[in-house]
Amino acid sequence: MTAAHKVKITYCADCGYEPQTLDLAKALMLEFGARLSCIELIPWDGGTFDVSVDGELIHSMTRDGGFGDTRAIKDAVGARLSA
Amino acid sequence: MTIDRARFDKGLRYDAYKEQMTRNRDRLEANEQRVELSNEDLAAFRALPRPVKVVVLAEDWCGDVIANLPVLARLAKDSGKLDVRIFLRDQNDDIMQRYLNKGQFKSIPVFVFFDEGFRELGHWIERPASVTEVRAKRRKEIFAAHPEFGSPDAPVDQLAEDVRVRLQAELVKIQHDTMKFANAEVVRELREIATRVAA
Repeated sequence: MTAAHKVKITYCADCGYEPQTLDLAKALMLEFGARLSCIELIPWDGGTFDVSVDGELIHSMTRDGGFGDTRAIKDAVGARLSA
Repeated sequence: MTIDRARFDKGLRYDAYKEQMTRNRDRLEANEQRVELSNEDLAAFRALPRPVKVVVLAEDWCGDVIANLPVLARLAKDSGKLDVRIFLRDQNDDIMQRYLNKGQFKSIPVFVFFDEGFRELGHWIERPASVTEVRAKRRKEIFAAHPEFGSPDAPVDQLAEDVRVRLQAELVKIQHDTMKFANAEVVRELREIATRVAA
């Protein structure tokens, strides 16, 4: 049975991070297609831009700075899917 | 980059800024109605010897702009002594680069006060530190009172959706409950800067 893999992107809606959120979501959709069971976008506040896959935080603006490198995030998601 | 008369005149007046907003205009105008200005504060602004020019950096998606720009707008309208021009942050990066928060962040709103010769009197960024402090304390109390919200530092996507919705409601309540205090602090800080104008 194929495992369901879920990505969550939590972004600060008060900071106008929608474009970066949508760009990343689109990149993940195009890269992984139906291999992801869900990409959840969570509007939040406080300067948040967190990306997790199956509950594991793979990028955090607070922890890592910035929006993260899309290639690196895709690699981290891909590694999770292959595990 | 320096602000001169020609650049200043390119900024939007408050009503024109509101006209070009693509979102949150209802929230901005509701906040504008809620601002309470004391007679003492208004008298201090009305007593300015000459109108003070204020350059604003803003965007309509920013919560701190929606909260604090109306305070400045009401001070301008009710005192008649602040001449406000608004510039969109993302179209005016040369101005933004000069007023980065902590030399690093493009925080808005930015209010820059100038005398009639365009000499800077001072500037103000985002929100008062006292407001950030009070809200952080309230946030800490909420997490302490609700173990189901987990750690304040943990990613919120780890919370169940219903818990996350309840946490969001509590956080919105903090904004609401502290709004009066926040507006008063904004007025206090803006008054301190504007009254630096020479008699």
